Amino acid sequence: MTAAPAADGPEWRLLLPLGAFFVLFFAAPLIVLLLVSLSDGLALNAFSLTHYARFLSDSFSLSILVDTLALGAKATAVCLLFGLPVAWVCVHASPRLRSLLLFLVILPILTSVVVRTFAWIVILGQQGILNKTFLSLGLIDAPLRLLFSEVGVVMVLAQVQMPLMVLPLITTLQRIDPNLADASRALGAGHWRTFRRVILPLWLPGLVAGCILVFAACTTAFVTQTLIGGARLVYMPLYIYQQAAGANNWPFAAAMSVLLMISVLLVVYLLNLCGRSRWATRHG
Amino acid sequence: MSRRVGRRDFLRAGVAAGALALLPRGAPAAEPLVVATFPGTWNEAHRDVLAPYFRKKTGADVIQTIMLATDQVAKLEAAHGKPPFDVAIMDEGPLLDAVKAGVLEKYPVEKSPNYKDLVPAFQDPWGPKISLQVIGIGFNPKKIKERPKSWNDLFNPAYKGRVGLTALNSTLGMAFMVDLAKTRGGGESDIEPAFKALKELLPSVGAISANLGAHAALFQQEQIDIAPYNFNFVQTLKEKGVDIDFATLDTGIPAWRTSLHVVKNAVQPDLAVQYIDAHISPEVQEDMERSPYWVIPTNRKVPLKGEIVKQVAKSQDDLAKLKYQDWVKINQHRSEWIERFNRDIKL
Repeated sequence: MTAAPAADGPEWRLLLPLGAFFVLFFAAPLIVLLLVSLSDGLALNAFSLTHYARFLSDSFSLSILVDTLALGAKATAVCLLFGLPVAWVCVHASPRLRSLLLFLVILPILTSVVVRTFAWIVILGQQGILNKTFLSLGLIDAPLRLLFSEVGVVMVLAQVQMPLMVLPLITTLQRIDPNLADASRALGAGHWRTFRRVILPLWLPGLVAGCILVFAACTTAFVTQTLIGGARLVYMPLYIYQQAAGANNWPFAAAMSVLLMISVLLVVYLLNLCGRSRWATRHG
Repeated sequence: MSRRVGRRDFLRAGVAAGALALLPRGAPAAEPLVVATFPGTWNEAHRDVLAPYFRKKTGADVIQTIMLATDQVAKLEAAHGKPPFDVAIMDEGPLLDAVKAGVLEKYPVEKSPNYKDLVPAFQDPWGPKISLQVIGIGFNPKKIKERPKSWNDLFNPAYKGRVGLTALNSTLGMAFMVDLAKTRGGGESDIEPAFKALKELLPSVGAISANLGAHAALFQQEQIDIAPYNFNFVQTLKEKGVDIDFATLDTGIPAWRTSLHVVKNAVQPDLAVQYIDAHISPEVQEDMERSPYWVIPTNRKVPLKGEIVKQVAKSQDDLAKLKYQDWVKINQHRSEWIERFNRDIKL
């Protein structure tokens, strides 16, 4: 069956509803956001770049942006570290075990993020499950400071966003022809070399996709960042909220939103680039 | 089974369903009243006491939307004359913002029979004060044996790492800073002493909640033992079995008033007034002045009782004399202070 180019047939019209939806509820608000960020108020007059200049020339604001991106990177690294083995085991397990593992991987998505985050407060608190266990085992003398610390935020984000990493990893790993690994080994490569030279390059698209999803989700995770981080660890989403609702400074909040979006898109673009270039050099 | 749904029927139904979801809120007779309420005890009191009373009296239904005062002002401003709710609930600071933004309607006193029973301090042309929040020190009596008396107790080196604070976006945070300044020679026009004290206090601070909801969790999870807190929230937590007690301050009891307002261009302006009037009626106020709500009544006909009498005031006239703050002055600097606080506390 040969698929006709979409533009020739009437099929392209199937895209209209979604297209209209996107223009109305995604593109239009985005344009409004951009306009507000350039104006001096919600009335949209007197356009200038002052809000961007104010953000970019202020070391406090810049440090928040850097912290936010670093938080995303750390949580993504943790997800990758734990996600890779899980995906590997999932794909190579027996069908029954695999469906059980898959269910466990998806489980976090099935509860509300607010509920999950509050559960983590109970686990991480000074009198929480973790601290009480460590204390009774004699591993520590005084309760660790997990809640309201960056370590805590990274831990919770990694758990909450783990499915976004593991699912793309599983689907791409499943599609790799097992004969390739056998061939590599028959030609004399060891397990590690086979993994590094054959499996990993083929796995890279899934890896990049997982990293992109987790990174974007972690940098914008308002609920988790705020509840686990508290007021002393400020990340961009909370900062934007404070400026918009607390200080009533909508244009500045809009400018920050645009800057956060640009920085996240930049990281996503770089990740994509690194995925593609390696892919192209080895298999082009 | 004989009638098949044709392609066109399907499309029409789909489009109709989609369009329905997008339609703006109109005002047919059965349209319920939409009211804003605060998170926590407030929404429970409104849901379980005020809403049933209002329903019985008017036959109309009420839908709650839970939102902080600053968020309400932001939403009303962004809605450009098509408000998403009819009744707003405000603390003193955000109320001034709301008035300035022109999102509220003047309160029609003549349509509200219970309004005259409020002490003058609780009357306001923009809407009646339905209650007040008294602040002091919430503390864990199991860990802190000596009952705190003033903000100075927060600076006690024995409590290092166990002190809690809350960010300035809530009225509690702002009122605490202003009162701290007042007890150290400053005030609404001179906040400097408070920020100086904050620097001194920070090494002792175990946690700063980003919002009031998280503040309760700090005590529940024993993350902190002592913190500025609202009188009635402490009572509620105590009744839930949390180790917490409330101490009033020797330096005067700071308080602020909470009020209800008819929103400009409300879909149901008349029901909104009836709802607000119901809140200041003796029946509702008496019913809310009990476990687990402990909403302090502003209607003169409702006697004060329980912990309120023991710790705060004997009558509404006493309540009117508490240490209220000048929010006109505070509002001039509010966003600047929020910003400064956030910078000072950042790890």
